[in-house]
Amino acid sequence: MNIFVLNCGSSSVKYKLYAMENEQVLAEGRVERIGQENAIITHQSTGKEKISKTMPILEHTVAIQESLNLLTHAEHGVIKSVNEIDAIGHRVVHGGESFSDSVLINERTKEILDSLAELAPLHNPANVTGIRAAEKIMPKKPQVAVFDTAFHSTIPPHAHLYAIPYSVYQRYKVRRYGFHGTSHKYVSQRASEMMGRDIADLKIISCHLGNGASIAAIDGGKSVDTSMGFTPLEGLMMGTRSGDIDPGAIFYIMKKEGLSLHEIDSMLNKHSGLFGIAGVSDMRDIEKGIEEDDRLCKVAFDIYEYRIRKYIGSYVAAMNGVDAIVFTAGIGENTPAMRSKLVSNLPYLGISIDEDQNKKRGEDVEISTPDSKVKVFVIPTDEEVVIARDTAKIVS
Amino acid sequence: MDIRRIAVLGAGRLGRGIAENAASKGYDVVLFSQGAGGKDALTRIEKGLDRKLAKWGITESEKRLILGRISYTQDLKELNKADLLVEATLDHLHIKRELLRTADQLCRPEVVFVSASATMRISDLAREIDRSDMLVGLHFIPPVTQVSVAELVRGERTSEEAVETAKAFAARLGKQAVEIEESQGLVNPRALVVMINEAAYMVDEGVCEAQDAELILKKSWGMKQGPLEMADRLGLDLVLNWMEQLQLVFGPRYAPCPILRRYVREGRLGVKTKLGFLAYTEDDSVLTEDEGDKED
Repeated sequence: MNIFVLNCGSSSVKYKLYAMENEQVLAEGRVERIGQENAIITHQSTGKEKISKTMPILEHTVAIQESLNLLTHAEHGVIKSVNEIDAIGHRVVHGGESFSDSVLINERTKEILDSLAELAPLHNPANVTGIRAAEKIMPKKPQVAVFDTAFHSTIPPHAHLYAIPYSVYQRYKVRRYGFHGTSHKYVSQRASEMMGRDIADLKIISCHLGNGASIAAIDGGKSVDTSMGFTPLEGLMMGTRSGDIDPGAIFYIMKKEGLSLHEIDSMLNKHSGLFGIAGVSDMRDIEKGIEEDDRLCKVAFDIYEYRIRKYIGSYVAAMNGVDAIVFTAGIGENTPAMRSKLVSNLPYLGISIDEDQNKKRGEDVEISTPDSKVKVFVIPTDEEVVIARDTAKIVS
Repeated sequence: MDIRRIAVLGAGRLGRGIAENAASKGYDVVLFSQGAGGKDALTRIEKGLDRKLAKWGITESEKRLILGRISYTQDLKELNKADLLVEATLDHLHIKRELLRTADQLCRPEVVFVSASATMRISDLAREIDRSDMLVGLHFIPPVTQVSVAELVRGERTSEEAVETAKAFAARLGKQAVEIEESQGLVNPRALVVMINEAAYMVDEGVCEAQDAELILKKSWGMKQGPLEMADRLGLDLVLNWMEQLQLVFGPRYAPCPILRRYVREGRLGVKTKLGFLAYTEDDSVLTEDEGDKED
């Protein structure tokens, strides 16, 4: 069975074609700058040369058609015709309270997705545009939506409700939804496989540390809490997002600076986090700054580590224990110094790590020593394969 | 037609605001002005963006992206590349008509024209152009990038297709286009100039200083700017121009307060000359009493 996975943004489309028998990636690529004369398509079929071309692509339908042209191309492609694709899996950021699992897309699904646009205005409309575009090109293929929020739908009310008037939740569904669910699901499952234990018996804390960052408490394979909330702004310090902040401070800043809602939103989402403290948002630049003895880079690094540590501590309390901690995504996978510092600051958990293992990159690796009471893993995330698996399962 | 390039005629505050707003939503914009002041339009847009950056409203890369999408020219021949034309020049019937006639010859026939005029009737502006059915009134309210409503007016011959194009353009700019009947002064300018004029009378009669009128009106109505600062930011010459046009239609209730005429005669035009009813700093903020003497 071949599954075509699509991740559609407002001006980009990322795609992967899987052969599900052995979960092999047959081809992958991306289309960027959709809407412009100089859109770029990059495509690579496994075992073949990577190609790139620039052309006008004004909308998603054309972008998806172009990616299918490359998949079926005599020289660069891997399949003879679109008929060899059995189903399409879409990444959808927000499923709200309506979707607690991946779902086969039908007219009703699309209507609900349209109504959820308000909860994720930057992402959901683009995801739905991708669904409609794929439907236009391949009207008879089954399509499946896989939600970033679905994995967190098991978070119980005491962890997903905010302590504000209950009517606000009833009226507008303001609650914790959490994000990066597909990634947390993948790395926690992979960690249980590496431990050779049933995930139902494990308490896992997974740290998805990319430019956006979230941490999840996963008890028996189910998410019971996560740091991102109603929006991806809550929780950990991020590249340009503040993470947790006293709401009272926001009102004070707005009053003192005379800021509008748009300005404070932009400040907290785009001018804060690592960038807000140190003036750079990339952890590699922070580490370079620390080497050059930059005080604010060091402060930013320390805040970043401290916030993760605080969440780990609180999730150990929430689950009454932890068997494994997993690191993934850009910073989680590529910042050994962050992992070392974190672990060295958690002696009460009885963790010890092997520094040689900790320096490995690009592979699934256990970095804790054999005698460590809590296992620690670095697992590069693979959200697409989860989308492909869910799609295959639903259409089978 | 897929609209990607916008031509904006007029590089005053309104034209610059429309250009910035359109560029921030992904349009390529060519700003046209034949006046002497137009040349520094891009610098003024950049200064405005720097102020937004300082208040965290945009990022450095967003600023570069917006500026990268706006170009300035005095050469009207460039109009043949536009997919939509926005006319945002001062309200002088003959000048506007002449400009629209020229644009009518240079733009492709399918291009919709949008006029941001506050006091001219769309039917009058459309009279001498071939595409009279393609002209729509869409009055943007300064500061254009911040105000989320626009007034939409159709002339006697405006087609449904042109109205839909204008509505879609307004929506992409983040504005709700509210359609009203064709009437000079529309809603916002007509109500605003009355409020400005009354506040100007209070200052002229010595009832209170301009800054005290501002304080009372701002605080009592929860406004970010009072009517006198709004007038200064619009330009007192523009306010006078609007009032004179409206006086021709509606009579003496739009007769400008003498202080308005005096200030314009003295070249005291508001923010653009750093002095109007209030005084302004180099970065166009209101100069407070601590910072200097407001009255010259």
